[in-house]
Amino acid sequence: MAEHDAGPDPVRQNPTTTRLRILVAEDNDTDRMILQKLVRRLGHDVITARDGMEAVERYQAERPEMVLLDVLMPALDGNEAARQIKKLAGETLVPVIFLTSLSDPEELARCLASGGDDFLSKPYNRVIIEAKIRAFERMRQMHQTLTVQRDLIRARNEQLISEQQVARRVFDNVAHRGCLGARSIRYHCSPLSVFNGDILFACPRPAGGVNLLIGDFTGHGLPAAIGAMPVAEIFYGMTGKGFSAGDILREINQKLTAILTTDLFCCAAFVEAESWPGRVRIWNGGLPDGYLIRRDGRRMTLPSEHLPLGVVSPERFCADMTAYDAKEGDTVVFATDGVMEASTAQGEAFGEQRLMAALDDTTDDTAPFDRVIEALRAFMGGREWADDLTIVSLDLMRPDDTIDYAPLAASSGLPGPPEWDCQYTLTGESLRQFNPLPLLLHICLEVPGLQAHSGDIYIILSELYTNALEHGILTLPSDWKRSASGFGQYYAEREKRLRTLSGGEIAFRLHHRRLGAGGELVIECQDSGDGFAAPAELSLDQTEYAGRGLALIHRLCQRLEHIGKGNHVAAIYRWPPDQGAQHDRNTASGH
Amino acid sequence: MTETPHLDTEALAELQEVMEDEFDVLIQTFLSDSEGRIQALWQALESSDEESFRKSAHSFKGSCINIGAPRLGEHCFYAEQAARAGRLQDAGDSLRAIESEFEAVTDALNELLQR
Amino acid sequence: MAIQTQLSDDGQTLTIRIDGRFDFSTHQSFRDAYEKGDQDVREYVIDMSGTRYLDSSALGMLLLLRDYAGGEDSRVRIRNCNSDVKRILTISNFEQLFTIE
Repeated sequence: MAEHDAGPDPVRQNPTTTRLRILVAEDNDTDRMILQKLVRRLGHDVITARDGMEAVERYQAERPEMVLLDVLMPALDGNEAARQIKKLAGETLVPVIFLTSLSDPEELARCLASGGDDFLSKPYNRVIIEAKIRAFERMRQMHQTLTVQRDLIRARNEQLISEQQVARRVFDNVAHRGCLGARSIRYHCSPLSVFNGDILFACPRPAGGVNLLIGDFTGHGLPAAIGAMPVAEIFYGMTGKGFSAGDILREINQKLTAILTTDLFCCAAFVEAESWPGRVRIWNGGLPDGYLIRRDGRRMTLPSEHLPLGVVSPERFCADMTAYDAKEGDTVVFATDGVMEASTAQGEAFGEQRLMAALDDTTDDTAPFDRVIEALRAFMGGREWADDLTIVSLDLMRPDDTIDYAPLAASSGLPGPPEWDCQYTLTGESLRQFNPLPLLLHICLEVPGLQAHSGDIYIILSELYTNALEHGILTLPSDWKRSASGFGQYYAEREKRLRTLSGGEIAFRLHHRRLGAGGELVIECQDSGDGFAAPAELSLDQTEYAGRGLALIHRLCQRLEHIGKGNHVAAIYRWPPDQGAQHDRNTASGH
Repeated sequence: MTETPHLDTEALAELQEVMEDEFDVLIQTFLSDSEGRIQALWQALESSDEESFRKSAHSFKGSCINIGAPRLGEHCFYAEQAARAGRLQDAGDSLRAIESEFEAVTDALNELLQR
Repeated sequence: MAIQTQLSDDGQTLTIRIDGRFDFSTHQSFRDAYEKGDQDVREYVIDMSGTRYLDSSALGMLLLLRDYAGGEDSRVRIRNCNSDVKRILTISNFEQLFTIE
């Protein structure tokens, strides 16, 4: 080996060495000559300056990549020159190496304080000079790479945020807040929660009451937000058309199974609060326990009984709801697991115990929701709440103000038919599995003037149908519903009899005609049952669960006729233009 | 204790290799600059300007070390120390030592150049 | 390694053991673990005795494994869950999809 020779030129030895422009500032002629020569021999270009002032000027004019600076110089000393050069360089990393024969530690420290990165002591040693230049070149390149990447990340992040804002506006148009503003609903969810996978929708049901959906998609960011769009569309669309919670859930599950990848799904709870009869039906698939807080403070758990939405095929999906009777003063509370997992700086989580303790604390008459929020606030201190912390409560059987938030029925702008007649008959198996109400409502709403009265019409249709099915076909004794305990039994029996139903028939006949500026809709409903004696006096008494259906229809209609043996009812509904909204809709919720 | 030599021949040989044909110019520059520095030191001493004296001595020291004249650098260091401590009497003594050492260095360097 | 696999002597059962946190950070290694098992594997056993925590993305990964193992016909057993892990699986009603022991 030829190691004992002068050795290969270090620059040629390493072809990757970058050719740099290096500023050498030194007032001492001989030192400057030596350094200039040494640096040049390392393959770099040298810019020279004779004092500090000149060094700053040359730096500003030529922007060299590195600066070698004598400490003691006339005009402007090295420390001050370094300070000015670093300031000019801004975010660019310009290594400044002080040339010194100083040995006083305090003076050396001052050099570093003024922005120097290292020292080179006299006499100059070419091996050390080369090593230092290389080391700082690596540092400079790393800094440059990081700066470029940071700028890129910053730009991407800004882009992402602006895209999220646009996406949120689009999302708000589709998944508007529905009737979340109603007095009966309290909620907390971050405006950007959808990008954390949380969803919260509420929509008035045409028959009165509210449908509420709270959910939590796996993952976060765009993949989680994408699933929220169809869920919102299905939820609002089908609720507005009067579909049952089960139908809506099946549709959402089917859609999510079809569009999402296997590992994405949505833990959710559906609350179907009927203002009439006093009942709330719950479906919980994968969300933490929800709670039904009774007026007297008693707490019932609403556990997850199903797989989340978007996991199993439609054939395996189970949309069975659990029904509870509801009275004014009862409240349903649901939260996503972000509430349970909300944690302090020390990493302690809020947890289920604290949530239940807050719900159970009835020392004053604060609403359960407010108690939870208060407890969370106290627990978190000043810590900011995450985007995935969503909680909602719904007061049941409250005088209904959600109607103000009812989505406007889609108006095609085309004039519908003013005079028509149709008959629709359901038999046997169809009665078991099909809900005809959305279809019948749809037909009626083809009359443009009737769209403002969709709630009334839905209630009439639904009460007539329920009456015919439950009493006419299934022959369920209505007095069961008079007690809270019989209530559950009634609905269990209803499910059971419906499953084994084989015969029977329910026929609707709808007829509409123009009447002055408004019109008249006649809804006839006839079942194949034995009929019943029409009650002499129709009662709207709060304690009367049964028989209220017909009384309610009576209030909404012009006239209610019982035909034949009582299995045939005709409701005559007259609508004047622009007066439909004045109907008293609160009758159903009692006082 | 060995006395510090006038010239560091090893350092000078390396310098010669680094500077190539600019070596002569470098030495000539050193010699003429140094004359100027010595004059500046005398002026500072006469006007009792300790700060200026100290700085000049420090700077002179640096170039002596770089050029390979360690003993001259040593005298510069004593001069710098004396000025820093305000001992102008000692500073004057050191400056006289610098002057005589510089003559010796000049002779030695000229000899080197003629080789 | 947070994830270890073991193939039974007959090559039909692949046991995947997850230690520590089972979350999105284990996504790739979990996938690698079941995808590298060979054709003969009939049954998968997820050993959670060392699993401290499981999040919803881990549930997603279990669904991916179930799909890979044959969906409705898959045989995936999850065993040795601590109470926290078991609670999360129960809330999601995953016992309908997996055998949880």
